Amino acid sequence: MSTTPTSRQVETGDGAERPAHAESPRAVAATGDGAVSLSPPAARRTSNSLLRRFFRRPMAVVFAAFLVATAVACFVGPFFAHPPNAARFEVLQGPSAAHPMGTDPLGRDLLARVLAGGQVSLIVGISVAVLCLTIAIVVGGFAGYYGGLADTLLMKVAELFQVVPAIILALVVAAMLGSSMTMIIFILSFTMWPQVARIVRVESMKVAELGYVESARTVGFGSLRIFFSDVLPNAMPPVLVATTMTVGRAILLESGLAFLGLGDANTPSWGALLNTAQSHIQTAWWLTFFPGLAIFLVVLSTNMLGDMLNDTLNPTLSRVK
Amino acid sequence: MKIAFVGHYLRLLASSMLLVFSVVVIMFLLLELAPGDPIQGLVGQMPVTDEFRASMVEAYGLDRPIHERFIAYVANVATGNLGYSYANQASVGGLIVDRLGNTLLLTVPALVLSSVAGIVLGAIAARTRSRRVDGALSFTAIAGFSVPSFWLGLLLILIFASMLGWLPAQGMSSYTSTGVSIRHMVLPVIALAVTETAFKLRVMRSSMIEVLGQDYIDTARSKGLTGNQVLWRHGILNSMLPMVSVIGYSTGFTLAGSVLVEKVFGWPGMGLLLYESIQRSENMVVMGVLLVIAVTVVVVNILTDVVYGIVDPRVRARLHRARSA
Repeated sequence: MSTTPTSRQVETGDGAERPAHAESPRAVAATGDGAVSLSPPAARRTSNSLLRRFFRRPMAVVFAAFLVATAVACFVGPFFAHPPNAARFEVLQGPSAAHPMGTDPLGRDLLARVLAGGQVSLIVGISVAVLCLTIAIVVGGFAGYYGGLADTLLMKVAELFQVVPAIILALVVAAMLGSSMTMIIFILSFTMWPQVARIVRVESMKVAELGYVESARTVGFGSLRIFFSDVLPNAMPPVLVATTMTVGRAILLESGLAFLGLGDANTPSWGALLNTAQSHIQTAWWLTFFPGLAIFLVVLSTNMLGDMLNDTLNPTLSRVK
Repeated sequence: MKIAFVGHYLRLLASSMLLVFSVVVIMFLLLELAPGDPIQGLVGQMPVTDEFRASMVEAYGLDRPIHERFIAYVANVATGNLGYSYANQASVGGLIVDRLGNTLLLTVPALVLSSVAGIVLGAIAARTRSRRVDGALSFTAIAGFSVPSFWLGLLLILIFASMLGWLPAQGMSSYTSTGVSIRHMVLPVIALAVTETAFKLRVMRSSMIEVLGQDYIDTARSKGLTGNQVLWRHGILNSMLPMVSVIGYSTGFTLAGSVLVEKVFGWPGMGLLLYESIQRSENMVVMGVLLVIAVTVVVVNILTDVVYGIVDPRVRARLHRARSA
């Protein structure tokens, strides 16, 4: 058993990355000495050393740095780049020093448009992941922890979403109800949350069986209190992996929808840029190459980070015998 | 034992029908929620005659309260009446069936190709003693499902059609001929298969690693089989079990992926029909495609379950036990 005082764990815990986790350490600290030893230190203690172990991998640093750099470029870059909608250059110029990604058929700087489009793709990816995580924690967590009718219902709903592939459902809903950026975020979260919820469910089911939950129950803590302070934090690690991967999948889906013309026409995302690029594929390869490369590299980075996070959490799982 | 099977498959059938019904409910709710004139919403941005308008009001009970509209809608769908496409001057059902064949020309080869490649590459990744080969394959797999299939298709066109001129970029066959040509199929099938191969590689790899850790593998080794014999006689088949459900599962993804790939390659399948109908906001066709895909996935799921029962004796035994217990 760890003898680490809870107060230190509170300070070092990465509360920002774990919405549900944020309230638990304070709750534990408030209950006084008797309760402290009961709550499982595992999740909180590993969370910190987990990050350290995670970033000991050189590739993790590379991909994380790439994502941060891309985000900075997309959100700060436009202040220094050409205005993305100013049609003031010669049309369909190849990449050059003045226009590193060339210009489009209306004479706009492609780099500026890729940076502006990145804002849409990144906002959609991250918002969808956060929304999915939130819904998944509430629905999946309760279903897994309490079981019963809620559990059956969740599994049925999850099955339904498995039947209709996410992109088809998103496509149809966006076609019928509209495709503004907010709408796309809601539609994608609506179609993607069951996958995360299934993982939260399985994990909280497992944790609910463990000894420290039993102990907490014996001491007389309410089930809700146990759920938030013990079950959820300990169920989080695999859920974080799934959430990381959700960012990538959401960006892929969004770009697919935008490629099919479903997206905000005023702020073209990377997928929308590819939509217009297709008719010029014979003459202007750069229109096709750069926006797609941006999608690929960002999604690759999030998936690699998720995969490495998974390896860090289960170091023995993928080792060849 | 027979009865246990029948009971199991009846339950499966019932839950499958419930799933399809839920999809129909979602479709109805979407139609109700869609803004604007419901008839224009159904037929798209097309001028319609008053007669057609009246027939639509009649067919979908548009002048009646919501529960009657729902019953009318379900009755229409259940009798196979998916509506009439004004733009194509054809019934939606017939239109989709016509296009479904072209879509299968892409999805079936892509499924076969990705399954074979995924199994072989996954087995190699799990079996190899070289960390470099395993690492390279695992990285390629992640890259494979990180690449947007439509961008991959565009790149293939860029390289093999525009630059090298080896393969055609658009359509199912050249203008002068009808039918389908193999040369036209190559690029779209590859674009469609890459992501699926990557998923299957990963599943196969982890399944194989798990199988190779089992006791019977050690037994096989200790009775003197060579590494390759162990792999082929005991490893491959046992680790292919999860692949049955993965292949079933990936049917839906491949169908979904074909929407994007068909748009890239101008392949006149169901996905291109969906795209064109969305452009025209012809929601009746959009709904029809959604339903056909959902039904296809449900049918494939049932088939997967049946195949599982056939190839895995343990599943049969469990059914048997459940009955006698």
